Amino acid sequence: MEQKLIQFIKHEFLNDPGIEITVDTKLISSGLIDSFSLVSLQRYIEKEFGKMIPAPKITAESFDSVRQMIKIIAQF
Amino acid sequence: MVISFYFFGFLILSSIIYWVLPKQDLRTVFLIIASLGFISIYDKFAVLVIILLTIYAYYFAYLIEKQTNRKLCHRLGIIGLILILGVFKYLGFLAETISSMTSFIAGLPAFHFEKLLLPLGISYIVFKYISYLTDIYWRIVKKGNFIDVLLYGSLFTIYVAGPIERFERFKPQIETKQMFHVSFLEDAFQRIVYGFFKKLVIADWIGYFIAPVWENQSSYGLGIRIAALIGFSLQIYMDFSGYSDIAIGSSRLFGLKIMENFNWPYLQPNISKFWRNWHISLSDWIRDYLFFPLSRLNESKLWSTIAVPLIAMGICGFWHGAAWHFVLWGLWHGAGLAILQVWNQQKRVFKLKPIKALYGPLRVLAIASTFSFVTIGWILFK
Repeated sequence: MEQKLIQFIKHEFLNDPGIEITVDTKLISSGLIDSFSLVSLQRYIEKEFGKMIPAPKITAESFDSVRQMIKIIAQF
Repeated sequence: MVISFYFFGFLILSSIIYWVLPKQDLRTVFLIIASLGFISIYDKFAVLVIILLTIYAYYFAYLIEKQTNRKLCHRLGIIGLILILGVFKYLGFLAETISSMTSFIAGLPAFHFEKLLLPLGISYIVFKYISYLTDIYWRIVKKGNFIDVLLYGSLFTIYVAGPIERFERFKPQIETKQMFHVSFLEDAFQRIVYGFFKKLVIADWIGYFIAPVWENQSSYGLGIRIAALIGFSLQIYMDFSGYSDIAIGSSRLFGLKIMENFNWPYLQPNISKFWRNWHISLSDWIRDYLFFPLSRLNESKLWSTIAVPLIAMGICGFWHGAAWHFVLWGLWHGAGLAILQVWNQQKRVFKLKPIKALYGPLRVLAIASTFSFVTIGWILFK
């Protein structure tokens, strides 16, 4: 799940495979991706992992790193 | 909340009785009676609407939790709430619009929907119950006890102008009995005084100075009119955020922590961040219950980048009042968000390095641009 999310974020939002991302890289607060990208992330998680994460649980704070995303995904 | 001397007398008296009561259920029931009693001073009809709306929302919450066809129950519940809001708030506007469009047809009967009563706080309670039903549908929260929901809908400190609190945050605070702590008093006093200062000292004084300019614009030069517009921008912020401070502080007297509504919105470097810090409870609501669900309807970039911000913010504008200028104000902000999204996408297309944080003159320029954009928008709002 970790690698799939990292690959999706790198491919979809960064458009630069050279940028290194780890599970703890701050994505939104660091300016790497914008909060509009959260909608695409919600859609991707539903398609790839079959989990519909409700919008109130997808915030710039709760989805700021891949580790945080995995934690939220595990709740649904 | 209607701020007056009665309000503060009522607030102090009711908070004392609240803490004297020995059980949480008694406290909840007392606070409901106090809230409905206070609201009835200003609008008796609103009390009836609150009770009926709560029965309605609670019934649909029950159906969503119990029924196999949860989706249908959720949709029906939401449609009903929107219809109720539409009848009370927008039927007069609709009739007026249709009437102006068909005025050339002689002999059409005249309808006077505008004479329908607009219950106090209807916009806020309907939005609260839409979030309540949707969060149950999403399994974020359980439906709770009826009295908890009734207090959630009617709490007088936040009833008229928010913040639009979520049941998920509110429910745990009233489920278990809290012990009174002196910090509640300190927090409440600080926030109420702070709110009053913003509202009565800053906002009202700015209003006092700019009112003559708004009343007689042709008599003033462009510079003065721009200064008055900036003044209005500050006035509306101080007034509304001051109001929210008083609401949050008043709720704290009952030990309740209500969500924050403003966080330095005029110091944000883009329009998206402005909305994450302006009327936060509403912008979060728009994001969660309009922006995300609308985006899921269609996967095309054009839809999610352009159409969704325009529709979501257009509805946000219409929620503020039944008039076209509010819709235009919402569309203005929707256009701003759409342009920002396009810009972000172009940065990715051209592989521009992300700007981690703006510093120095660039940041000042970004903040000034965002403030100017928002301030120009207030012309449409006013």
